[in-house]
Amino acid sequence: MSEKSIDNTKKKNSVRKCIVWMLILILVPATLIVSWKYGNRRYYLTSVLVIVYSILAFVISFESRKPQAREIVTIAVMSALSVAARAAFAMVPFFKPSTAIIMITGIAMGPEAGFLTGAACALVSNFLFGQGPWTPWQMFAYGIAGVIMGALAKTGVVSEKKKLLTSVIGFVCVMLIVGPILDTCSLFTMSTEISKVSVTGIYMAGIPVNAVHSAATFLTLLLFCRPLAEKLERIKIKYGMMDGEQ
Amino acid sequence: MTNKDSFTEYHPIINFMFFIGAIVCGMFYIHPYFVGVSVFCAAAYLITVRGTKAFSILAGMCGVFIVISIINPIFNTNGEHVLCQLFGRPYTLEALLYGMTLAGMMVSILLWFVSYQTVMTSDKFLYLFGGLSPAFSLVLTMILRLVPNYQKKIMQISEIRKSIGKSAGDGTLRQKTEHGITVLSVTTTWALEGGIVMADSMQSRGYGCGKRSRFSIYRMGNGDKLLLILMTLLLTITLVCGAKGMASITFAPTIQMHGSTMVRIGGLIVYMLFLMLPTMINIKENVTWHILRSKI
Amino acid sequence: MAHFEIKDLTFSYPAAGEKKALDQVNITIEHGQYVTVCGQSGSGKTTLLKQLKSVLAPHGKKSGEILFEGTRLEEVNLRTQSSKIGYVMQNPDSQIVTDKVWHELAFGLESLGMDQKTMRLRVAEMASYFGIQDWFHRNVTELSGGQKQLLNLASIMAMQPSVLILDEPTSQLDPIAAADFLNTIRKINRELRTTIIITEHRLEDIFYASDKVIVMEEGRVIADEEPGKIGAFLKKENRRMFAAMPSPVQIFYGVNGTGNCPLTVREGGAWLSRYFAGKTPEYTTVEDKITIDPDDVQKPAVLMKEVWFRYEKNGKDVLKGTTIQVPENTLFAIVGGNGTGKSTSLKIICNICKPYRGHVYIHGQRVDKIKGDRLFKQNVALLPQDPLSLFVKKTVREDLEEMCDRNLSEEKVREIAKLCEIEEILEQHPYDLSGGEQQRAALAKILLTEPKILLLDEPTKGLDNFFKIQFGKIMKRLKQQGATIIMVSHDVEFCAKYADLVSMFFDGGIITTNTANRFFAQNSFYTTAANRMSRHVFENAVTNEDVIQLCQKNQ
Repeated sequence: MSEKSIDNTKKKNSVRKCIVWMLILILVPATLIVSWKYGNRRYYLTSVLVIVYSILAFVISFESRKPQAREIVTIAVMSALSVAARAAFAMVPFFKPSTAIIMITGIAMGPEAGFLTGAACALVSNFLFGQGPWTPWQMFAYGIAGVIMGALAKTGVVSEKKKLLTSVIGFVCVMLIVGPILDTCSLFTMSTEISKVSVTGIYMAGIPVNAVHSAATFLTLLLFCRPLAEKLERIKIKYGMMDGEQ
Repeated sequence: MTNKDSFTEYHPIINFMFFIGAIVCGMFYIHPYFVGVSVFCAAAYLITVRGTKAFSILAGMCGVFIVISIINPIFNTNGEHVLCQLFGRPYTLEALLYGMTLAGMMVSILLWFVSYQTVMTSDKFLYLFGGLSPAFSLVLTMILRLVPNYQKKIMQISEIRKSIGKSAGDGTLRQKTEHGITVLSVTTTWALEGGIVMADSMQSRGYGCGKRSRFSIYRMGNGDKLLLILMTLLLTITLVCGAKGMASITFAPTIQMHGSTMVRIGGLIVYMLFLMLPTMINIKENVTWHILRSKI
Repeated sequence: MAHFEIKDLTFSYPAAGEKKALDQVNITIEHGQYVTVCGQSGSGKTTLLKQLKSVLAPHGKKSGEILFEGTRLEEVNLRTQSSKIGYVMQNPDSQIVTDKVWHELAFGLESLGMDQKTMRLRVAEMASYFGIQDWFHRNVTELSGGQKQLLNLASIMAMQPSVLILDEPTSQLDPIAAADFLNTIRKINRELRTTIIITEHRLEDIFYASDKVIVMEEGRVIADEEPGKIGAFLKKENRRMFAAMPSPVQIFYGVNGTGNCPLTVREGGAWLSRYFAGKTPEYTTVEDKITIDPDDVQKPAVLMKEVWFRYEKNGKDVLKGTTIQVPENTLFAIVGGNGTGKSTSLKIICNICKPYRGHVYIHGQRVDKIKGDRLFKQNVALLPQDPLSLFVKKTVREDLEEMCDRNLSEEKVREIAKLCEIEEILEQHPYDLSGGEQQRAALAKILLTEPKILLLDEPTKGLDNFFKIQFGKIMKRLKQQGATIIMVSHDVEFCAKYADLVSMFFDGGIITTNTANRFFAQNSFYTTAANRMSRHVFENAVTNEDVIQLCQKNQ
């Protein structure tokens, strides 16, 4: 591909990305208003629609980038690892390393890849273990985990070299963002009547679960972040992926 | 009864449309009659899909139903007919009925999802939505292909670690976690290395050299078209009746239904017909088989 | 016009400095030819094949040119290359991209953007030609290795390539699946006139069918001839590749035969008859290497007594009252078909799988009574089928050090590295090694547990002949040090050469056990090529060396 055409596709891509996000910015409030006015405030349905839009936005911008084989494979491999990883900890009860692997992918490959890995991981897990009303929420929550870490890595706050800090941020991220998003899902599916009691009840009940989840994420990040980054690096060097033409 | 599910054999778009219709309607029509119909139809279909295995699921669902029904009045004290006082708060009949309706709604949706899981396999899902993003659907296909591989590899590596005396079988939690990380780490190296071959294999077969088309094994036959029309018709009528307030009801302070009774009853019948479609198809095929066989 | 023309191709990898992976390679390949490329591991075979398809060509310094049907390869667009040049890789598993057989078949066609109707036809055609209909709707994970490789082949053939390049396609398959696969390749060449360029260790199955054989050594082409002349050339030049030639060729030149060199067992047998024409050979037996009565073993090192095992409660029995007696300080080989329970019995011996009836004794002690890690320390060790699964560290040295106490490690590692001939590769990443090196490094790692009993699961899978010879030597050394070795293998030639006792495993039990010579001499199918071609003349010659020795004795 000549340099000019690369420039062109880049421009095209950024235009496309803009359109996608504009659409989201219109669609989301529109959905909220419509559901507020006519839909009798169906929380679950409205929220799922909003979530589906945001997932679609990521997916469409990924698609329009025309990803190369190696990028596709890396995302697939990392997602598949995060789905399968639980099996390695069969002896440790409640230990879920998936979120950490998604976060590391975000750190290594950027926020977009992080989101896709998270979303794909959740979707495929549910293909294997049972779909439910929770599927879009899980896709969103795990995707967000990847995005946050990816964005933080871009700004240089976290990296595989700052092991402890990264792990702490990972912990906080699960405790305050990923966990509560999943709790919100149970809130919306379990009750149509949102009252103070049901809200506090569900978020309180979520705390111990989220704490365990966060701890697992913390530990996995602490122990696995650097080795995984090194492995990705090794593969890049071994197969000449640094030459820039890939 | 056999477990042969004929509804599955129909075109994926029909499968998917039915479940979306059933699940969304199930969420919207929170009215005892409609919830009842949905639970009944979901259970009936599940039995034709899963055979005797369905009964254990249904038993579990009864438990869910009872728990949610009883708990609701504890949080929700609206309603005129007080049954008793619990924790110093009134426990009302209306709240109990509302709780039962909500519980029924949840049970019906969970039941529909159980059938969804068996009917809407991953390849059908990817067939329907792959067009939105060929790249992402390829990613999903690849994950589905890799996960069993990785799980097998993880088992294999754990075994091998054991056979060189490096298991953490009766170690501390810390040792077990570290052991898990080691296994995961080896699997990752292996997986990444395999990924390179996979990418080569994709490129070698032309990935990235132009616009991809999509191969599918599904075909839209006449039977599919007929069913699609029928289903659209029934669903539209249900939705129109829904907009006319067929399922509108208030539970507090007393239970009151709104809108015309005619619309409600008509809507209920059409709704039931829609939800019973897959079950009826299964029963019909079963009967046809029996007749065909008895003729031989 | 030639199909492929390689002119003065020289290539070196970026990390390798001045060392050339390919050096002045000149090859011409015509349409419809069947070309075998052979050479030791690391001789540049794979590098050469990869250069023939632009997307697979590795990075590095390259000079010279490759013409594909008269056009420079770089100028042939990717689309044409994708469909016209088919490439099958070594590992059957990693090449598969999608989760369903039908989808995998269509993958290439999808990439080319074909319409639905054409794809349906092509997929249907391929599924029928390769006999895939029965598993068309399956998940790829449910397939056997042979089926997977056949699927890879079919999904490439669906794109209707004019040339098919195969890089050791059968190295991960068992002999029966491998022979099937290679037969299919021959059929494609014969019936569709597809040009075949193949590298293989298993020369017996393809050597005779080739139109020409290219031999490579250290990046150079040292021979480019029809198969009948290759043996003579290698013998004359005394090249190491001679050791990889099919048995008839080796035996023919081993006794300085005259006339045309036999390439197959059939030709070899006929030649041997001519060799002894008009006289009856005086000596027809070789002596047994070992004299043990396999049915009466005093103090067995390993004793498996009436063991029953199955993986799932309601599953099939994998072992059905299996009894195995392994005498002390022998190499005991177990051969037999796939899925008969051979590997499972190894896992039972080291207590990873637990039988539901019967017991296993090691030096008279029941294995399930040995507490904790003691079973795997200075006692039993298992070398798994896939040696890569053993490595967890960044270098071979670190991996070896993981196995021993910190203060003793350096001395021990050096000693074992010497024994296994891996001193040169200690600082490398295990995944960067060749198959044979990985195998030896893995062996070194398990030897650090100082086992008295060594269990090997398919140790020669995917190894070329040089590595096998090297591996065989290490086995002999270990035996001298007093080890007992139990080996599960498909490799009849290797067992014949190195094993003391051989057992046939079938349907969950041992059918027969005998010394290697007696064992293979009594079989008519499950035996070595040397035995099959000499059995009408000699009684129990099973290795090439046996036949050569007897021929010379009778001179």
